[in-house]
Amino acid sequence: MAAATPSNPASDLLGPADGRLRYRLWVDRVVRWGLPLTFLLVLVPLFDLLYWVSAKALPTFTWATISTNPVGFGGGLWAPITGTFLLITIATAISGGLGILAGMYTAEFAPPPVARLARLAGNLLAGVPAIVVGYFGYFLLVLYTHWGFTTLAGAITLSVFMLPYVYRVCDLSFSSVPRDQREAALAAGATPRQYLLRVAFPIAFPSVLTGVFLAMAIGLGETAPLVLTAGWSNSPSTGLLSTTSYLTGVVYQNYQFPDTLGHLVTLAFQAAFLLVVIVLVLNILVQVIAGRYRRRLQGLFS
Amino acid sequence: MATADPALAASPPASPTPPAWDRYKLLTWLGSPLALIPLLALLAVALAIVSSGDLTLLLRGDFWSLTFNWNPLYPDQAAWAFPLYLLGTAITAGLALLFATLLSLALAISLTAYLPGWLGRSLATLTNLLAGIPSVVYGIWGYVVLAPYFGLTLQPTLRSYLAWLPFFGGPAAAAAPGTGVLLAVLILTVMIVPLTTAIIRDSLANVPSAVLEASLALGATQWETMRRVRLRVARRGVMGAVFLGFGRAVGESVAVAMVVGGQTQIPPSIYSGTTTVSAFLLYQQDSAFQYAALLHALVDFALVLLLITLFFNFLAQRATGERGAVGQTSAAGL
Repeated sequence: MAAATPSNPASDLLGPADGRLRYRLWVDRVVRWGLPLTFLLVLVPLFDLLYWVSAKALPTFTWATISTNPVGFGGGLWAPITGTFLLITIATAISGGLGILAGMYTAEFAPPPVARLARLAGNLLAGVPAIVVGYFGYFLLVLYTHWGFTTLAGAITLSVFMLPYVYRVCDLSFSSVPRDQREAALAAGATPRQYLLRVAFPIAFPSVLTGVFLAMAIGLGETAPLVLTAGWSNSPSTGLLSTTSYLTGVVYQNYQFPDTLGHLVTLAFQAAFLLVVIVLVLNILVQVIAGRYRRRLQGLFS
Repeated sequence: MATADPALAASPPASPTPPAWDRYKLLTWLGSPLALIPLLALLAVALAIVSSGDLTLLLRGDFWSLTFNWNPLYPDQAAWAFPLYLLGTAITAGLALLFATLLSLALAISLTAYLPGWLGRSLATLTNLLAGIPSVVYGIWGYVVLAPYFGLTLQPTLRSYLAWLPFFGGPAAAAAPGTGVLLAVLILTVMIVPLTTAIIRDSLANVPSAVLEASLALGATQWETMRRVRLRVARRGVMGAVFLGFGRAVGESVAVAMVVGGQTQIPPSIYSGTTTVSAFLLYQQDSAFQYAALLHALVDFALVLLLITLFFNFLAQRATGERGAVGQTSAAGL
């Protein structure tokens, strides 16, 4: 771009009859400098949100905020933190395991019609609204199983929501292992298993990992599936079949309380702050790994 | 690449295949259920919804009535006003999609053609961060921070200058000052933009450079090449982004529920509240656990919502291909 700006030496050579061309070059220049300014429309909300969430959460953020349980109109976030951690751990284990298996199979073994169907299903599943997944969890895991509102029901529902992201990224990462690698391995006499475990897996692994992190970030920030399945309790979950609290729930339940009534809104902002920090760290991790991975792949090609 | 290479898998009968390859062939078929895990999950979701509802309600007049009436004491007189919620969804999601598409076209074009690499990369990363912020955080930011500003400053300003436009001058029938259509559209727009931007950017980047060079060589300026050639070649990606963004906007429940107001009404102005199908599903879940009639109606809401989002996601895949940028993966830069 910088090289192109002293450009248009042509416009200095234009005669008075070249008004149309002058106009076209003028439009081009306006667009070149004006269009990137639209980024302000995205950056202003981003930084406004980050600023206000920090400004509302941090002044009263102490160790007690993390270490105590919610009580009445105040308290801390210990139970929601442990609840979110538990939910995400189980949900990541389920969706990670199933998603990686399914993605690997789709990319490496599945006959074309099966693969097409599986990818279509994965894409459609990614588009199912969180609230609909929540109702699914309510009917299947809360009512049908007679568990009632439980941590396990919440985690499984969450894993259904996270599954397509792991699956898609895993499918994509195994599919983008360069063909030469496969041919070279097989030509050298590798069995399919050796190829998969020793050649394809190491190449695809970092990218698969980004998919898992991404799914974790998405699952962490979800509220709707849990509202319908996990119930609520102000003390840490005592087992998989007991109710649990979670960070997004703190925000959703308390955002409307007036400031005069305890510090519930502040608590909600503190939960939101924790969520944003965790999610941003996960997202940055994803971008870093993805960047490394891309460079590694490029090294493979050159 | 995606499948067993037939040349490898089916060797001539004369030379016996090594046992590893027999197992491999077996695996390709025995493992099929693995690939169908996403399909099973999708079917499970759909089945749970379909089998728990009262499908005949979808055909009855009280579902499609234009007034809402629900009193647990008189479930016989219930009327669900579904068209109003559908309208609320169409208004908020439609407007958000319009703004998000225009904005992300500008962003994607800047990223692919006008910004130097380092700056483009950092701006793209920042934009992607928006995709990662939980919807409930957008909701509380909208309700606590933006709504008072909207109610006290922005809306009076808009009204004083633009009251002559339809929907800009009407009454502010809002639950809390500042909440309503305008705020919901803004929040939804910010939430969808990273997704649509990433997809449009991908499809612009995939346009072969030979096509662009041909256009430039014919004397077109950069902008003319972008508008008349590059965008035209990449139009399927843009369409995919639009469908996907719409599906996402229609399905978003938490953030919208927190800022849209919650009234069952046709909003008389952009300063007024309304309710979307998704938001209604979230508002009512608590009481639905107690009243079967309400739950049945909500399940039908969920079913229609599911069908709408599946339809638009299907269109999106048709437009961008099965490996196309679908879901949030592309907004995360993958």
